[in-house]
Amino acid sequence: METVTITKERRIPTTGEVMVKQGQQVEPDTLIAAGTVPSQDIHELRLYRSLNVNPDDVKNHIVKHEGETVEKDEVVAIARSFFGRQTRMARSPIDGVIMAFSSSTGRMMIRGHPVPVEVFSHLPGKVVDIYPDEGAVVETQGYRLNGVFGVSGEAHGILEVAVESGDIPLTSTEILPEYGGKILVGGSVVTLDALRKAVKIGVRGIIVGGVDQKDLTFFLGYEIGHGVTGGEDVGLTLILMEGFGVNPIPDTVFDSFKEFSGKLSCIDGTTHIRSRSLQPEIIIPL
Amino acid sequence: MSKKESYLLIDIAHNTTKAILIQDQSVTTIAVTQTTVDEPTLDVTEGVKDAIRKIEQGKSVDILTGEKIKPDFKLLCSSNASGGLHMVITGVIGNISGESAQRAALGAGALLIDTFSKDDRRPEYKKVAAMRSMKPDILLMSGGTDGGATSQVIEMAEIIQKSDIKPRYGADYSLPLIYAGNVSVQENVNEILSENGYALKMVENVRPLINKENLGPARESIYDAYMEHVIIHSPGYPKLATWTDERIVPSQAMVGKMLYEYALQNGVNLIAADIGGDTTDIYSVYNGVFNRSLNAGIGLTYGISNIVKEAGIDKVLRWLPAMMDERSVRNIIGNMMIKPPQNLSSEEQQIQAAVAREAIRLGVEGHKVIASRLKGVITERTLSDMFDQALEPTLLNMMKTQVVVGKGDAFSDQTMENSLMILMDAVQPEGITDLYLDPDNMAAPLGNMLDHDKETSLDLYPKHGLQFIGTSIAPSGILTDSQEALRMEFTNLQEVKVSHSFSYGELTLIPLKDMDSIELNLIPNRLDLGSGRGKVVKKVVRAGKLGLIVDTRGRPMEKSRQPIKLLPIEALGRSE
Repeated sequence: METVTITKERRIPTTGEVMVKQGQQVEPDTLIAAGTVPSQDIHELRLYRSLNVNPDDVKNHIVKHEGETVEKDEVVAIARSFFGRQTRMARSPIDGVIMAFSSSTGRMMIRGHPVPVEVFSHLPGKVVDIYPDEGAVVETQGYRLNGVFGVSGEAHGILEVAVESGDIPLTSTEILPEYGGKILVGGSVVTLDALRKAVKIGVRGIIVGGVDQKDLTFFLGYEIGHGVTGGEDVGLTLILMEGFGVNPIPDTVFDSFKEFSGKLSCIDGTTHIRSRSLQPEIIIPL
Repeated sequence: MSKKESYLLIDIAHNTTKAILIQDQSVTTIAVTQTTVDEPTLDVTEGVKDAIRKIEQGKSVDILTGEKIKPDFKLLCSSNASGGLHMVITGVIGNISGESAQRAALGAGALLIDTFSKDDRRPEYKKVAAMRSMKPDILLMSGGTDGGATSQVIEMAEIIQKSDIKPRYGADYSLPLIYAGNVSVQENVNEILSENGYALKMVENVRPLINKENLGPARESIYDAYMEHVIIHSPGYPKLATWTDERIVPSQAMVGKMLYEYALQNGVNLIAADIGGDTTDIYSVYNGVFNRSLNAGIGLTYGISNIVKEAGIDKVLRWLPAMMDERSVRNIIGNMMIKPPQNLSSEEQQIQAAVAREAIRLGVEGHKVIASRLKGVITERTLSDMFDQALEPTLLNMMKTQVVVGKGDAFSDQTMENSLMILMDAVQPEGITDLYLDPDNMAAPLGNMLDHDKETSLDLYPKHGLQFIGTSIAPSGILTDSQEALRMEFTNLQEVKVSHSFSYGELTLIPLKDMDSIELNLIPNRLDLGSGRGKVVKKVVRAGKLGLIVDTRGRPMEKSRQPIKLLPIEALGRSE
């Protein structure tokens, strides 16, 4: 297998701070850029209902105003009646900031605090370009292999070959406690028990010939519909080299994995089948 | 336009480019080549030229002169390359203005990415976030009858303005936005949206009155925007556009047009199912009303796992032999999604046929919502209406369907017998229905010719597009097993009267060899063939490629794994 130059764009989906400089050497865990995106958690409070007043009267009762920070259950409006004997209050359902208040409709919008977003290098290598306020391009030399289908996104760890040859199934017996934090290479198929045990002991990724589609459905907890994956939160990244069912990994490919055993591997299960634009990827940096 | 004119019809699909030469009102040659819109060629005209050269070589005619089409030939192009026409729809009330806008867009051949309305459950910020994430080719905005729902239309315009939606092919051109809502607020909408740099076009309202739809102007405007803003960004299309004076139109729109005109010409109600790799289209024409619905993401390659997800694996398994176990079926389906096979194995073919049945069934269910009488109209129901189908929520009525057409990959990859079974099981025709296939998708190019030579187009479609499989006789109702369901009487070629009984739960294919047509006397036993329970029906049926299909499995159908029984016409019982 030939070595290739691999470049990866590492950008956050907003503007923020770039933490690296051009020419800097980075490791997979190096933070490249960080920022925040507005929270999608927005609540509309109909204060006139909580306070039992007319909408246009709400403005006389609010205690928190636009731009102010509020905590969950903090009072944002209060109305007293019967000479102060009866009190009605409206509280914030979330921690956040008051986005807007309409004095005519008596409604208040509260948005959750901004959500932090970060992007790490994923690969060891050198920063060769900077996207101001967004991120950088990281370059490395190494080997690259592609699978045909994967679930979950990026992961990295030391590659460990767990079976003797590409036609041997990866069962729970082969998943050993010392594989925690590693990327495992299995053979023709991985069983559901093996996947669950691997998650339990902290295996970061599994590369294997195939998996029974039914086992994958049980593992995910739902049916895979469209062939667009990458966002699954299942505890490890799974990459299929050949397809669904029992599919031995060809000897040439399996021999390469054996050769890379003990080395750092950076994998990504993201797959976009429709456009053929994204295939699962295994990178072994030099 | 002279009917003697020679037409060159081009239909560009994702994988293949088809060229059809029509001279003297007949199809002279059909040539199919590879579509060259993607890498490495990146020029659609190369595939078109290859197809034209094939015609030139086969027929010794000169069509191309250098990079141009000779003026003796009228070039008409339809295209479905680059995944078709992606549209987003907005309305005020989802099932009133939103639905009218959907019908306009689907009728124009669009693939709907999403539909937004003021009354959908998403809060405004989620609508904005969702719209921002879309990359449509065209946005169609509707809402309000003329003079109505003014503030809601303006609010929706403000949401679109905040969303700042970008077009699919890069941010360097303007997204076409067609406004087809309340005409009295056109100026306000223009004011709100003009700042965003949308290519805004105002057309007549798709729903001017609550009980009236006006889809034509919006549909025409979609065709214009498709030509001016969308297709022109695909490789080679600007050059192709210079070869013809006519618009390049979406293929699905022309399919719908052809099926509509065919149904009108023959005075039939029609339903057609078209399954591709990633989409399932259902077209219908009932009482002269055309409808198209589309299930995006439901198809036989990239969309095959979605069918299992939507329908459930049990629904797929019911069409397969009991010996095929769930795990193997799931694995084969998964592999058909990630690596669409070039040549199907017999197992894959069976699974594809099973999945196709469910894709069509899901499509027809979805179609019932679109093919309905206008919602929002208050209808008075009298006691007699309680028994009248006219006020039913959907226009679809299988008993009143005379023609069913199957087209697309599901049928071109299967044998005619399998195609027949897919249609029978998925559509479940009732009464007496003619079954057709359009395996080569001739509807799109011939539909494109309708505006130029309707007579020739309508003459050629049944001859070169439709394959008549046979006539289905399927009484509606439920009996118990092995009860007599239907007696069929006819006079055979030897002028002998023949009578044959069909038991409940059977599916029988009777080849009508040496016969062009046959006059049948059909006597259902407590079942309905369209004239009422147990009422006799007399009918002359034509002989199709496979013959006559008698389906006594009941409606709704109970026996899904019933094998088809082949019964030669000579074997039918005799009687005096």
